[in-house]
Amino acid sequence: MISVSHISKSFGEKHVLRDVSVDIPEGETVAIIGRSGSGKSVLMKHLIGLMQPDAGTVTVDGIDINAITYAELRRVRRNFGVLFQGGALFDSMNSFENVAFPLRTFTDMSDADISKVVKDCLAMVELEDVGSKMPSELSGGMQKRVALARAVALQPRYIIYDEPTSGLDPETSNTIDELIRNLADRLNVTSIVVTHDMHSVLNIADRAAFIYEGRVHWTGTIEELHHSDDQILKAFVTANEYKIGPS
Amino acid sequence: MKISNEIKVGLTIIVATVIFILGIRYFEDLPLFDSTYDLVAEFENAGGLIGGNIVRVNGVSVGSVTSVYISESTGKVVVEFHVDPTIPVTEGTYATIGGFDALGVVRMDLTLGPASAERIPEGGLVDTRVTSDLMAEMTTRAPAMLTNVDSVLEELEGVMAQANAMVSTPESDIRQILSSARGSMRQIETLLADESNRIARILAHADSLTADLDAALGEDGEAVASLMDQMETTLATLNEDLERFQATNEQLDEILRKLNDGEGTLGLLLNDPSMYHRMDATLSDLNALITDFQRNPGRYLKEMNLVDLF
Amino acid sequence: MVPLTSHIVINPVAAFGRYSRLLFHAFGAVAEISSYRSNVWRQMVKVGVESLPIVILAATFSGAVSTVQTSYQLVSPLIPRSIVGAIITSSMILELGAVVTGFILAGRVGARIAAELGTMRVTEQIDALETMGLNSVGYLIVPRVIAGVVMFPILYIAACFFGIGGGMLIGELGGFVPFEEFVFGAREYFQPFDPIFGIIKSLVFGFLITSISCFKGYYTQGGAEGVGRATTQAAVASCVFLLLADLLLAVVLL
Repeated sequence: MISVSHISKSFGEKHVLRDVSVDIPEGETVAIIGRSGSGKSVLMKHLIGLMQPDAGTVTVDGIDINAITYAELRRVRRNFGVLFQGGALFDSMNSFENVAFPLRTFTDMSDADISKVVKDCLAMVELEDVGSKMPSELSGGMQKRVALARAVALQPRYIIYDEPTSGLDPETSNTIDELIRNLADRLNVTSIVVTHDMHSVLNIADRAAFIYEGRVHWTGTIEELHHSDDQILKAFVTANEYKIGPS
Repeated sequence: MKISNEIKVGLTIIVATVIFILGIRYFEDLPLFDSTYDLVAEFENAGGLIGGNIVRVNGVSVGSVTSVYISESTGKVVVEFHVDPTIPVTEGTYATIGGFDALGVVRMDLTLGPASAERIPEGGLVDTRVTSDLMAEMTTRAPAMLTNVDSVLEELEGVMAQANAMVSTPESDIRQILSSARGSMRQIETLLADESNRIARILAHADSLTADLDAALGEDGEAVASLMDQMETTLATLNEDLERFQATNEQLDEILRKLNDGEGTLGLLLNDPSMYHRMDATLSDLNALITDFQRNPGRYLKEMNLVDLF
Repeated sequence: MVPLTSHIVINPVAAFGRYSRLLFHAFGAVAEISSYRSNVWRQMVKVGVESLPIVILAATFSGAVSTVQTSYQLVSPLIPRSIVGAIITSSMILELGAVVTGFILAGRVGARIAAELGTMRVTEQIDALETMGLNSVGYLIVPRVIAGVVMFPILYIAACFFGIGGGMLIGELGGFVPFEEFVFGAREYFQPFDPIFGIIKSLVFGFLITSISCFKGYYTQGGAEGVGRATTQAAVASCVFLLLADLLLAVVLL
């Protein structure tokens, strides 16, 4: 259970988040939606302590992550897997090493066990045979899938997806959506999807929080989203529909 | 075979460390691998000696100074140094500090004791002697030298004052000489102005002559050289002749001067007017006599007959 | 007036503050050696072993050139030729060895570190490390600084060795100073503290170059252009602080 309550954040004169409160219930997939620059990525970084709020608290499993030491924060972070926008694969390592990296760093597993886990994770993202390839040799979609394999290698309880489908063609986007869906179902993880792609939100999310001009403008289930008559939300959703619609 | 990072790094570090240690030993003039022969010397004055300065035996560098410090117990300067272990530093060896402190080139010289004597043991004390270095020598002698310089300067000053006085006195010879010299110069100047055309011509001739000479030199250097030799001998002879001539001239001068001054017979003769007068009178008497004789020969002929008679 | 003050005073002070905090953070992470051990070896190879060829090349040539030029300038019968050996050796050990190596490393290693970390920053690899629960400062910066501090003296030794060697070689082969005279002069003026001073200097330089470059790279902002800017700044700042440290050490230690 992640609970964000009343956080504000500003960079200089610019107020990016104003009194934002969001609850992410255990086992659910929550989409944080909003236009580019609305502050949703900043909100995401607060969830794992990459940024500290100017006011308000973020609690993960009841722990205020801004009130603990760096060492404790790092322990909390191990519950998270994060899929970054560009994949953020370590470009000095090949795909296999990337996925194995958290295992080698945080577990005492033998090389054989690590190898087995890495192969399972790569199989899950349907990329069994790219282990020896460097990230630069992979396409954007493949990089994201390897990054996803890395994010789930330690079997985290929370997975954060930062713009998982941006920059990908619709077909690859669907593949990624499907993976996210499967992971949520199979591993029973809590997922937070930060996106502006409504298509993918409607595919995978249970709930959504709409960030508008630094505030949570609307929050509710996908079912409620369909029936909402909030004008701003509707404008955002339909704009998205039109954009993706023709496919 | 792929060399692991650990091996690459380890190897590099080991090689570098070895080079570092051996390099320092090399420049400290220590044997690279052998142990050294360490010795100690005590001085009253280190004279600027510092660690790293070289130690020489008969002018050959055989080691270097390790450290120099002042002993807490004796207050003396303790110099620790090391030399090539093959150098027979025997009893009777003594050390001196030499070199030139002002330039920072100080060294320690060892004068070895007799080869038959026992070697000074490792870490043993070497005798020392004091030699004054060049700078110290100069420093001690400097006052005396300065006094000399001073007196010379004083004398020079006196001379200058005299010269000054001489020049400033209007009747002095120098003044006259100078003024006549000025006159001569003026004459020469006029001459030069008058003769400038001719001088130009002469110069042109000289020019062409030089050009000819140049050509001759270019064509036949040896011939010119021999010519020059001959010319030189000729000139030398000419010089001799001139000298002789000058001497003759001087003698002549002397004679003329003496004549002038009425020295010697000829001089007296030349310079005595009374004799001239006398001669003159005699001659006029003679003249009168002859005239009288012509007028009245009988008077004299009578006398002549008379004379004949006798 | 205010923007000028902020540009000249506040910004550098703020940057120094962030630099200090980063270093403080890094020192706190030194103990977590298990997380970065293999990284240290890799960085030592990259910073040290792979820089050897260029350092050797530059040092050999600067030693050789100094010898030729010094011999050219010292054409007085009052000055023995062995002085050339003394000048080359002591200037190599005291100054050139460390500074030539420093400049090369500022360009080669400093720029590479800043570019690496900058790229990792803008592609969120540093965030990825952090979210895995890793101390990114410990993992990325500590090994690089350790590698700099350990390997720089090694490179300095190589620079001195090849610089003096290059000087001796050109002196002998070019007929400027015979080998024996060169060594004689070098020994006459050799101070055992000089190489120690050089080592101290290279330790400081190694620390400065790597830590400044890490700082510039770690706090890169603004995509590919930001990486380029960080790279340039890292090389320039490393050189500037290297020279400042050079002067400071000379004043304090000599």
